[in-house]
Amino acid sequence: MNRRQLLLTAGGGLGALALNSLEAATHHPAKAKRVISLFMSGGVSHLDTFDPKPALTRYAGHPLEGKGEVVVRQGHPGPLMPSPFTFRRHGQSGLEVSELFPKLGALCDEYALIRSAFSKSNDHVQAHYALASGQIRMGFPSLGAWVSYGLGSLNQDLPGYVVLYDQRGGPFGGPANWTAGFMPAAYQGTVFRAANQPILDLQPPPGVSAAEQRQRLAALRQLNSIDAARAPSNSELTARLDSYELAYRMQSAAPDAVDLSSESPATRRLYGLDEAHTEPFGRQCLMARRLVERGVRFVQLYHGGLGNQNLDTWDAHEDVKANHTRHAAATDTPIAGLLTDLKSRGLLTDTLVLWHGEFGRMPISQRGLGRDHNPGVMSLWMAGAGIRGGQVIGTSDEFGYKAAEQPVSVHDFHATILHLLGLDHTKLTYRFNGRQMRLTDVYGTPVPQLL
Amino acid sequence: MARLSLGILLAAALGAQQDAPALLEQKCLHCHGATPLGKLDLRTREAALRGGEHGAAIVPGAAPTSKLIRMVSGLDTPRMPLNGALSPAEIDLLTRWIAAGAPYPDRPLTARQKLTLTPEPPLRDADRKWWAFEPIRAPGGSIDHWLNQALTQAGIPPSPRAPKATLIRRAYLDLLGLPPTPAEVAAFVNNPDPQAWPQLIDQLLASPHYGERWGRHWLDLARYADSNGYEHDFDRPHAWRYRDYVIRAFNDDKPYHTFLTEQLAGDEIPHPTYDSLTATGFLRGYAKVGFREKDNPEFRYEYLDDMIATIGRGVMGLTVQCARCHDHKFDPISQKDYYRMQAGLFGYVELDHPLVPPAEAQAWRAANARLDAAIAALRNQLRALEAPYAARILPEKYKRFPANVQQAIATPEAQRTPGQVLLANQVIRTTRANPAEIDRLCTPADLAARRRLQQQITALEKQRPPAPPLAMGVTDGDYRFTPDGPGDEPAPGKGVQSTNLVGSFLHEGPGRYIAPPSFLLVRGDRHAPAEPIGPGFPRIADPASRPTELPPPHGKTSGRRLALAHWLTAPEHPLTARVMANRIWHHHFGRGLVASLDNFGRMGDRPSHPALLDYLATEFRTRGCSIKAMHRLIMTSQAYQRDSLGESGAAADPANRLLWRFPMRRLEAEIVRDQVLAVSGALNRTLGGPAVFPPLPAELLASSTKGIWHNQPDGPETWRRSVYVYRKRGLPFPFFEIFDLPDQNIACGARNVSTVPTQALYLMNDPFLLRQASLFAGRLREAGGDPVAHAFQLALARAPRPEERVAVAGLSLEALAQVILNLNEFLYLR
Repeated sequence: MNRRQLLLTAGGGLGALALNSLEAATHHPAKAKRVISLFMSGGVSHLDTFDPKPALTRYAGHPLEGKGEVVVRQGHPGPLMPSPFTFRRHGQSGLEVSELFPKLGALCDEYALIRSAFSKSNDHVQAHYALASGQIRMGFPSLGAWVSYGLGSLNQDLPGYVVLYDQRGGPFGGPANWTAGFMPAAYQGTVFRAANQPILDLQPPPGVSAAEQRQRLAALRQLNSIDAARAPSNSELTARLDSYELAYRMQSAAPDAVDLSSESPATRRLYGLDEAHTEPFGRQCLMARRLVERGVRFVQLYHGGLGNQNLDTWDAHEDVKANHTRHAAATDTPIAGLLTDLKSRGLLTDTLVLWHGEFGRMPISQRGLGRDHNPGVMSLWMAGAGIRGGQVIGTSDEFGYKAAEQPVSVHDFHATILHLLGLDHTKLTYRFNGRQMRLTDVYGTPVPQLL
Repeated sequence: MARLSLGILLAAALGAQQDAPALLEQKCLHCHGATPLGKLDLRTREAALRGGEHGAAIVPGAAPTSKLIRMVSGLDTPRMPLNGALSPAEIDLLTRWIAAGAPYPDRPLTARQKLTLTPEPPLRDADRKWWAFEPIRAPGGSIDHWLNQALTQAGIPPSPRAPKATLIRRAYLDLLGLPPTPAEVAAFVNNPDPQAWPQLIDQLLASPHYGERWGRHWLDLARYADSNGYEHDFDRPHAWRYRDYVIRAFNDDKPYHTFLTEQLAGDEIPHPTYDSLTATGFLRGYAKVGFREKDNPEFRYEYLDDMIATIGRGVMGLTVQCARCHDHKFDPISQKDYYRMQAGLFGYVELDHPLVPPAEAQAWRAANARLDAAIAALRNQLRALEAPYAARILPEKYKRFPANVQQAIATPEAQRTPGQVLLANQVIRTTRANPAEIDRLCTPADLAARRRLQQQITALEKQRPPAPPLAMGVTDGDYRFTPDGPGDEPAPGKGVQSTNLVGSFLHEGPGRYIAPPSFLLVRGDRHAPAEPIGPGFPRIADPASRPTELPPPHGKTSGRRLALAHWLTAPEHPLTARVMANRIWHHHFGRGLVASLDNFGRMGDRPSHPALLDYLATEFRTRGCSIKAMHRLIMTSQAYQRDSLGESGAAADPANRLLWRFPMRRLEAEIVRDQVLAVSGALNRTLGGPAVFPPLPAELLASSTKGIWHNQPDGPETWRRSVYVYRKRGLPFPFFEIFDLPDQNIACGARNVSTVPTQALYLMNDPFLLRQASLFAGRLREAGGDPVAHAFQLALARAPRPEERVAVAGLSLEALAQVILNLNEFLYLR
């Protein structure tokens, strides 16, 4: 039995709480202490962002042949379609990034680009779950839950795992994306809203004044202490007492964490808060920085929410040019701002920043302008945590239809993230139903270039 | 240089034919050749570079990162080849070959060996000797005999009997999940009759609220939910009938073997009842994607796996599902065992059973079929009428597409390039003229004709007979002929090719029903069927070799599920009774005698009191598998009646494994809420029926936009017991979730208990809780007298102590009420 399980099982609740306020031991020295994950929901086209394919221009209008049966989500495969966007080399490394991301392109020396990632499902929801938990099925703990379980919290007054989703709606698959699965509720993601009441039920409703609440809490503490004294060996009762203290501290700490009014005008501009189209995601990114600064271990951001699926997510079935132009414009400044800000504050050295969607898109067209889902390959990048920026890992095939050299599975990706956090993905286990469960199931190898 | 010479030595030692491609032909190609398992085909270099589901097998020049090397050397699991690892020399040969660029010969490689499977491992004596597979013994004694024996050995004096007020609250919360009223407490405390305790237990077991409490434990195991989950999270409008069935079964004290048989084979038993048909909903508890199985056959295997996992863990305490891709690594369950069980379930089809007499159901179906036919004829007429207009509209619509699409469509079909064919097809097949557009072009005469047809269709739709009550269940049939149903969205270009199949959804014809063939799947890959396989049971738990089919006389089902139920409930079955007795014990004491409720195998926990477990299992069977009899047996023991306070064993046995005191523990999510409602006086005690939707904040609803959640006002309509709150897979009810509701997608025997600040925030600040606190305060105000005493009596079944009175002095009634609802003592069973 390892230390984590000991903490967990010794009085159940106490373990969970203790873990939440303690830092647990790592398996090896960590390069990253915290994670900000930027999930571009709906499926970003690698072919139009980070993976240029001149062959698409050369063979435009031809069927994709010699690759076996081409399965597209919405039926009826089309011919090969070049990207409507041009690519340009950037930075020291000369990395090619599309014109959609001028600012992110300019920062390409900060991140390592993986062009050979692939996933398991061409269904949005299952592909989301795969990225979230390694499994296409519902019910398995999410990456953030594993990290919270593995490392505990860095702070005393905020949750260790915070989710900020798009104000237009939750991502495909909803709250199951940040579930603790079969682990205790202590490890699930807590949703923060961008308003001044970031957590549900954070403050008493109107009618209960702060003084009134303090009085109630004092009485409660006294009664619970009397009770706990009668059962001195039951540590759970004490843990529950402490949880009210933590909740009380959270009442001031959480609004402070999302209060952007103290940020300088320059910072606000850096994240794009001064422009309508970049303001929403800029706000999420700036909140993410404030949260990690305050010791939140894992911040999960989503861009793209289920209001109008074709419009509000990266799901570019109809028109990849219109769709991606809109979403890239909404995220380029905020994400570039986040990287720049983290770096200037010295946070990027031990913060891991992830950028990905749930799958790539097809090199063939859908009705002339759109692209269908393609789990065969996608591009994603990782920044910070000592990762050598500007490098490209793996390739897709000449058309960007499948991963070619050094394919990186979702399990490999997860194993890499855990490794950077000081955790060995084969040793981070949680016993459920008599089996040592892992985030990576029985798979996964960390990407050697990123260790 | 040294390395090279070693290579030469090796090559010499291996002989001339042992080059790397030849090695692939011998060891790999029978699975990764013409039958590319995992979609990996190693016959040509191009295909090997392309790789399979796990990516490229070979990265020329980069042996260490090549999947092939990672798999054969065991760096990635499962280690390949499955039927025996390669020698270090062979791995080295492959490594050097890849480092040299992985040259292939000019011909495609061919397998040197046929696809064979490792033979099923025979059962060994050591396997049979594992405690859980040994026959259940009848050790005699009693609960207290076995527990006290262990305590005496450990030198721990047990806690004394709990005060009577504590006992009555314990019994109420344990059996009903509701607190006793002050009058009930007083009556019990003041009753000197030694029979008062067993009488109280009988009285509680007769309450209809008992089933709401204990049925909920079973619903956890049955992964019950009111929605499908996954992308669409469709509503399951009839699921609640299964939930009510479970509650009723517990209230009726349905013998466990009957309860199990109905859930597995309620359609196959000699005289099916509405209840037994409803019970088959157990098998449909799996989370489901929104598309038809026949279009997504791979999901059918997931659903079958879910059933096997649920029956395995839930009923047998065995992780049978671990043997889907390979023989079980720890327990004597072979891959064949898994596929025998799968074959036993393979004929299942989803069916909503009409809960009316057959003639009535037949009339309902026939009336619908007549209407369907009439409506289809009208729709054909409508289409014929619309066709010329659509032909005018569509070319206009094509103009919205880019030039290359328009050009492709304009090009005569015969002259289109291959790319143009694709472009034109995509657009032509997915573009429709909508009714409003047709209306605008129609001549008055055609418009009138259209309206007439549309009205006729509407009129026919209105004639549809109301659906009878339906229960979401299963029966045997052929899933490849499943009719379309609500929510079905056939995915184009996918699915079972049924054109050359002959058959029907349900068995209609003469002769006996025959289940569709099922196969042992190599590595669990449905594209790699190895051999047809018949129904059967895990050999380790089938000492009497029970029959695997019990075909019913009407011949409409295979009788395989009935045989499964008979085997599970057979007297010699070593697991079923032990597993259930252990579950009942777990819910009374917060921990099973085997702590891993769902796993009695080698990776599970060993029983803390093996003789006691067998004693309970034996009692369970001799008492007719009556669950209520087990409550009486357990609750009348000294152990159950011990005080939860006391420290006599705190040093020697801090985890209280020996039960020297009654284990104090937090109540489950649903019971916390039910208790709040009961204490405030607001609880609506209506039994059964469709689920309710307590209001959720809009921000929360926005996180999950699919499926349904019809917010109802926060009032008596929703102040029902928590078992009736809608279970939406995509959006767990927040109150339950923060209090450790198990994930609704995996069968769960034992829940977690965690302490997190969000629980405190909820109990302090949530509008629901504050509303209930205010109702509680109103109740205290109305009662008059001493509100502090009354509040303590209602919520804790006891009088306040003087120091507690001091602590609450000066609080308003609202504040007092809320503080009480937050107390540890209130949230705990003790």
